[in-house]
Amino acid sequence: MNLYLVLLAACLFVTSSHASQEEFHESLTLKPLQDGKVTSHFSFRTLLRGATPRNPETLDKEDNPQHYTLFPLTLGQILREYAVTELHLTLNAGKWDYDRWGYPEEEGVGTGAELWAWMGESSAQSVDQRWSGLRNALSGLFCASIGSLDEQRTTSPDFTFQPKGYLPEWSSSHQIRHGTLPSEHVCTENLTPFLKLLPCKSVSGIATLLNPHKLFDADWHGLGVHVRYLHDVGIEVRLSFQTVADPIRYSFVGKRDWSLRSLFDRAIERSCPVATTSEVRLQLPAESTAQISPDPSSLDNGYATFDISKVAKPLNIAMVWPDELKFEYPLTSTPEPLTHISVHRTLKGYSQSRGVLSIDVTNNMPITIQTSYLESMPWLLQFYLHSLKLYYNGVSRDDLISIVSYTPPVPHSRPTLLQAVLTIPGNSTLHLTLDVIKPFLRYTEHPPDAQRGWDLPPAIFIPLLPSQASGSPNGTAMSINGMEENKVFPNRNRIRPHKIYTPILLVDPATPDFSMPYNVIIMSCTLIALIFGSVFNLLTRKNNDLPIERILDILLNKCIS
Amino acid sequence: MSGQQHGTTVDPSKLAFETTTTRRKIIFSYWLIVLLAIPLWWKTTSIDRLSLPDSKVKTLRKKEWKFPVYLHLESHVTSHPIVEVQKSVEQFLTMDLQEEDGISVHVTADNSTLGPGHYRIALEPGWTDPLVSDRSLSIGMHEETDDLSVDISRMRLSSTLLKLLAPPSPLSSSTTHRVVKYSPIYRLAFTLLNEDASSGQASFSWEIEKAIKQYFEPVMDALSVLHNFTIESQVQMHAPLAFTPSTFDFENQTIHCLTQEDLTVFVNSAEWALSSSVSNDPVIHFILFVPSAERSPLRILDHDGNPTSSNAFILPQWGGITILNEPQQHLTLPSLTSTFFVFQEQLLSLLGLPSLPRSVRSNEVESLSKLFTDWQLDALVRQRALENVKESQQTLESITALVRQIENMPVGEDVKGDVQGALNELELAHSMQDQSISTLYHSAQALKRSSRAFFNPGMLALLYFPAEHKYAVYTPLFASVAAPLVAAVLREFAAWKKERKAKEAKESTESEGNSKTK
Repeated sequence: MNLYLVLLAACLFVTSSHASQEEFHESLTLKPLQDGKVTSHFSFRTLLRGATPRNPETLDKEDNPQHYTLFPLTLGQILREYAVTELHLTLNAGKWDYDRWGYPEEEGVGTGAELWAWMGESSAQSVDQRWSGLRNALSGLFCASIGSLDEQRTTSPDFTFQPKGYLPEWSSSHQIRHGTLPSEHVCTENLTPFLKLLPCKSVSGIATLLNPHKLFDADWHGLGVHVRYLHDVGIEVRLSFQTVADPIRYSFVGKRDWSLRSLFDRAIERSCPVATTSEVRLQLPAESTAQISPDPSSLDNGYATFDISKVAKPLNIAMVWPDELKFEYPLTSTPEPLTHISVHRTLKGYSQSRGVLSIDVTNNMPITIQTSYLESMPWLLQFYLHSLKLYYNGVSRDDLISIVSYTPPVPHSRPTLLQAVLTIPGNSTLHLTLDVIKPFLRYTEHPPDAQRGWDLPPAIFIPLLPSQASGSPNGTAMSINGMEENKVFPNRNRIRPHKIYTPILLVDPATPDFSMPYNVIIMSCTLIALIFGSVFNLLTRKNNDLPIERILDILLNKCIS
Repeated sequence: MSGQQHGTTVDPSKLAFETTTTRRKIIFSYWLIVLLAIPLWWKTTSIDRLSLPDSKVKTLRKKEWKFPVYLHLESHVTSHPIVEVQKSVEQFLTMDLQEEDGISVHVTADNSTLGPGHYRIALEPGWTDPLVSDRSLSIGMHEETDDLSVDISRMRLSSTLLKLLAPPSPLSSSTTHRVVKYSPIYRLAFTLLNEDASSGQASFSWEIEKAIKQYFEPVMDALSVLHNFTIESQVQMHAPLAFTPSTFDFENQTIHCLTQEDLTVFVNSAEWALSSSVSNDPVIHFILFVPSAERSPLRILDHDGNPTSSNAFILPQWGGITILNEPQQHLTLPSLTSTFFVFQEQLLSLLGLPSLPRSVRSNEVESLSKLFTDWQLDALVRQRALENVKESQQTLESITALVRQIENMPVGEDVKGDVQGALNELELAHSMQDQSISTLYHSAQALKRSSRAFFNPGMLALLYFPAEHKYAVYTPLFASVAAPLVAAVLREFAAWKKERKAKEAKESTESEGNSKTK
């Protein structure tokens, strides 16, 4: 009997320990925006407890067998195969409007594809080899052209892209590889493999709402895959999907009321049986005229939370403004800025060889702040770094920029990397200009598609906020430590370094007429043939039919007459 | 008229640059340059086609592949003296062994160490079933008196040996399609598939690592001379079927059925994320399928439409599937036992392990201390080696035939190297036939290199750039340049002929004149 009890206890222990090895948390955060739109942010977090990233020094040995329950095997294999410590992949479509929407929940909102990874150095296989393998593997996994993020687009911006997790202390150091492909567009073919990585696919739980027909109709949409290593905890894979939908567009009468059914055409019918936590959080707008249904499981901190495993299903969260007959758009000048800084970047100049890159950075805070500035530019646009000028109130102030690192481009092979720190006085705008040239492309470097120019990756700004600001210019509550800053800017998220992606640019380098090579061949062949013919004739022609003098005479007579 | 006014007439043919010899020299030098340039042009525009060792590939067919097998006889039965048994067994086996069995049997009386290719045969008194252990066979034989029963006993021994040494090859019989193609490394992918975990009937986790350690590691160790294995496993919560199984009432219970046709389309590869393409090693899948609550119990029907007792089936060359109708939330090792025994069987069957002849018993297998006998393993090694040899021979023949047929196909150094390497490996494999394991190793190398040569991407490079395009580009230049060159030669030739005629005529008139003056 005792033996049975011990066995039972052992069994239970094994069961519980096994169950706690992998955890799956899913959440959906909904946020009505001031311009009537609604952001939804899906986050699916799988935690592999006790796991560590593969040490790249062991790449030449056979790997341990991989056994996963909730963790996606296909992604896990890629991570092990290329010994990736940290990985971030985002595929977005649309332009994130920071001025109207504020900071996104998921900070990687650059248009197109962006991939960055931290990998340990190894003597077995170099970081660059694995980076290339990783790109191709992810490309296959997500049906995206990430494979073309080659050396011409890869940089190592270690200053801007700090690891989000922990880098294990191995004998060798870690390196970052980063690449963007702004012309890549996210669509259903990327979502399908993305859903396959989820333990509950899109059959049960929050992921039911991921309906491609609605997601890709949204004003802004993007998916992300984030892998990081948390020290003493394990490896975390977070799959995210973010959209900005416009309920006013769906409404016939121009109201901003929305529900899960109107946003996604679906409601949550069943809960995912393996999710440890599964909740929908709804940020309540500041004005209290809105009503939500059904009643949330809990209400705190301006958020209404619905626990999927407890609430009645099907769950169709709805938010209505009963007093509003028609939504009035706020005036264009927003009453209060939603981000610390606002950035506008444009490429000026109409010629096909030269231009000016112009950037306006506005500090929305009353204090002087610093912001990091990153340009990771393919050689399709080359900077004249000496022409970098900073203007503050119309006065040139080159002391406000300090360049952290600069890697000049190598045409046809390497991109430019410019990392700098800008200092911006409070409530003012810095104006930055930089002369650029647009190089000539080789005949084979032009894409086979219809020519629309080349998309250039976004610049990335990270406002560096003083963690313990001692004094502020106004002497008011500007000591920036979370709560107080939230009082000053209640709409702003809590303090953490936020990346701000500028919109992408389009450059149109000189493009040849592609029928030209054949024309050139024909033309030069004709010319060569003509020259050859006349030289050959001159050398070999027999002139004994007519004496030279006769010819001259005939010609002379003709001229005279 | 006017020429005379200006001065003396100059005969143009008398000018230095108008002399016939200078002109001919010029034309000649043009042609000389053209002719000299032709090899250069040929070299720069031709496709790099190294010659492949065609004749060597052709002679491969003539090679005889026979693994020598030595049977060391031991007789404890007086009516069966070794010499006689040896003679009759040898006679019988050489008569019944086919060319494709690829073995040559040598029966000896001497004792030597046993190993692959060396077996001990002990004839014991009494009439017992043939018993195998390691590489020896003991077979009971009566003390016979009459010739007929002596012959029958010896026939029995010989046919047992034939079945053991050259079992009906799974590679040549109807089960050919079931056995996976040979690869030195396989990935074994175990998947616990829940049709719909939110329906209430599901298994969320399993003790896969323990199960593999207990049931698969012995198999993998035993097969390590043939293959290496890498292992992966996953659990899926939602794996819908692509079809709806039919239902019918059976023994007062509604059951859901899979017909034999359903089994072939059972795997829903569009929805089930079974394996990634991170490596190129072939994958063998093992799936434990848990039907959803509304599809339970799920049974397999036989060809006549009656439910079978079996709950597992093999998909040829793909893997094995087992259906689990009564799942537990967490599958412990004891509850996985039957499943993993089935998986084990499926793996051996997919890898083509021949089964032990029905009449032969083995204590090791019966006591579960071993999964299969060394006789079976040796037979599989020989069959696989032969299969590889044949396959690489065929591949090499196809390459040479293809290269011969398509004249635009480039053949680079790497292709030639691989073909040569494959030939060398085959040579080595042939010379080591007394060690079947080294033969297997070299034949696998040969197969690898020959298929690498066959699939070399460089061979496709110019296939799509036809010669017509080249001519289209060159014609505007060459045609217009060639025309005056050819015309000049023809004209000069005509002039030379005319000149010679005139000279002859002149000479003849002169000689006539001379004769006349004489």
